Amino acid sequence: MIFLLSWLLLAASAHAATLSVQSPRFTISAADAKQLRSDTLSLTKKPEPLTLSPTDTLKLTFQITTDGEDGKGVQPHQTFLRFYDAVSGEEGIQPVRVTPGGKAKFELNMARPPASIPPTSSAPLEVSLILGSFVHDPAKYDLFDLYIPASQPAPTHADAAMFSPRPAIQHTFRPAQSLPPKAVSALFAGAVLAPWAVLLGLWGKVGISVPHLFAPSIVPFTALLGAFEALLFWYWVDLKLGQVLLYGAVLALPTVFAGKHALSTTGKWRAGRK
Amino acid sequence: MRFFGSAFISLLAFAGLSSAKSSSGDSVLVLLDPSLDKENFSLFFSGLEKRGYDLTFRAPKDVAPAISEYDVPSFAHVILFTPETKSYAKDITPQSLVGLLSEKTNLLIALSPKQTPLTSLASEFSLILPPPGTPLVSHHPARDGPPTVIPVPVSSSPIVTPGTPPVWFSGAPHALGNNPYLVPILRAPAESFAADSTDDSGADAIVDAAEKGGEGLWAGSQMGVVTGFQTAENSRVVFAGGVELFSDEYARKELSPGKPSGNAALARDIAGWVFQESRVLRIDSVTHHRVNETVAPEMYTTNDEIVYTAQISTYNSRTSSWQPYSGIDDLQLEFTMLDPHVRTALPPVPGSPGTYQVQFRAPDRHGVFKFVVAWRRQGQSYLLSSTTVPVVPPRHDGYPRFLSAAWPYYAGAVSTSAGFFLFAALWLAGDVKGEKKKGAKAE
Repeated sequence: MIFLLSWLLLAASAHAATLSVQSPRFTISAADAKQLRSDTLSLTKKPEPLTLSPTDTLKLTFQITTDGEDGKGVQPHQTFLRFYDAVSGEEGIQPVRVTPGGKAKFELNMARPPASIPPTSSAPLEVSLILGSFVHDPAKYDLFDLYIPASQPAPTHADAAMFSPRPAIQHTFRPAQSLPPKAVSALFAGAVLAPWAVLLGLWGKVGISVPHLFAPSIVPFTALLGAFEALLFWYWVDLKLGQVLLYGAVLALPTVFAGKHALSTTGKWRAGRK
Repeated sequence: MRFFGSAFISLLAFAGLSSAKSSSGDSVLVLLDPSLDKENFSLFFSGLEKRGYDLTFRAPKDVAPAISEYDVPSFAHVILFTPETKSYAKDITPQSLVGLLSEKTNLLIALSPKQTPLTSLASEFSLILPPPGTPLVSHHPARDGPPTVIPVPVSSSPIVTPGTPPVWFSGAPHALGNNPYLVPILRAPAESFAADSTDDSGADAIVDAAEKGGEGLWAGSQMGVVTGFQTAENSRVVFAGGVELFSDEYARKELSPGKPSGNAALARDIAGWVFQESRVLRIDSVTHHRVNETVAPEMYTTNDEIVYTAQISTYNSRTSSWQPYSGIDDLQLEFTMLDPHVRTALPPVPGSPGTYQVQFRAPDRHGVFKFVVAWRRQGQSYLLSSTTVPVVPPRHDGYPRFLSAAWPYYAGAVSTSAGFFLFAALWLAGDVKGEKKKGAKAE
């Protein structure tokens, strides 16, 4: 007796009845209730992907029973449709209302979609049915792939841009200043120097008499004056103001004495001539 | 003698392996609910102690040891295994816990389906919790045991070692807000959902809750079960939906005969991330100078070529030391005055571990600029460095000189100088002729 009972117990636990789905059907109808596509679903093979336009409605009906076709209709604890986007990883779960007799009906109206539909990407939504119950074994079925109209992109947080590389920014510099052509500059430099040519030419004709050019009284002053000009040129090329003032002060001292000597010599010459 | 030497060396090596220490301190305060048995978490706590942490246990209503004294945190990390405590001692409030995070203390918090002050803290971190009393339930996979004890497959996350077996979980899930500072660690299985019903007649209530609007139904793999958050100060907090995840009972429970669960491994990974052992980076130093120079000048001139160098290291918990790290390949440098004027990649220098360098030209705007390195990636410490530097226009003698357009002017000035020198020399050297007439007249 006990042996028989234990066998019964074993049989009962082995067949904690599994939930199964009977006569699943889907219908896609347009806004004017015209049927666009209608078919039964095979639970082992997915049909061609379903496509919905913004005004279509998808209706899904099925019945949940225990243990195959002649089982009782039941209302399980969990009857969920799962919309999964394999590319973006987004998922939406939509519970389906089931009558106590096990009949289930789900309607998806694209004009007013439920909030559980995830935002779309390029891949279709994989729709599957998840059944769960406290007393029966659970079941999961892949139903079909669904293409729905594109949604707005999911809202992003203000700081989300900082978490990926941001676009590079290159500064546009002001273009370098443009200069006139060098030939023009050379021409006008030549125009500036032209009077020298005239002067030297006329001097050549007239002739300068400079008998005292290398006289030892005035050569020091002339040389120091030349040094001053060289200092000025050096200041233009390289020196700073402090340096040129220092060197100029150093040069100025002998120049004063040399100049006085030169002028007095010239004066003597003029007086002597007289 | 040799045997002892090799044994000593192997002991040292073993000790080094087992002491994976934190980079920010070893003192841990564990707040344990009086209803929880400390022995039930012995694997987790002894694992922490073996890794070098100093655990101090305390009940939530105890006054000592306080979590902070005069706004200075007393511990480097705090574990709150108080999922059902509704009232704490005076020093623990959601505000004081947030204050701890601002002071770089890390938190590990266990929640539960009950409504506690920690629930309101979690919602401040963009975690949306289900209504109180709705634990996570899953009928898949078919198994013995209640539907509230769920084997959760470990999805890929920056923190968890790949290949961890599924973990046992019971507690409350949470939905994740779209906050980029969140770091998802463990997601709920796709077939799970939050419900408070205990038999099949609760099906209608679930559909009604979903249709009522608002957040709808907490279901699916978009929900998180363990989620981390890294604050701007680089302190980390992890919210776990249930405290049994860390318990010995679940660590020892087998998924199927012969296959252990991944609870111990996951708990170790979570503790390693929260307590700043893994994925911790810092900028050691930052230097900048002109090309062909080595010292940073007091100020830069516009259009200067500038070289910027950053030294970055990562914390190696095995050796408890910071080591140079060249693994960041998308570091960027911004040269900013109110808005970034220049944003370039800061690539690692091959051959020099931990050095990142770039050369760029300063914009031709003068002003006060900043070198900004702000790098944030999920799961890693945030790198932030800002160096202020003035950029001045060229000095009076910094402009280009000796331009070809000025040749006529150079010629003119040189002519003037030469003319003056020539005149002075010729006048001093010249002959005096014109006085003869006058002298003759006077005579």
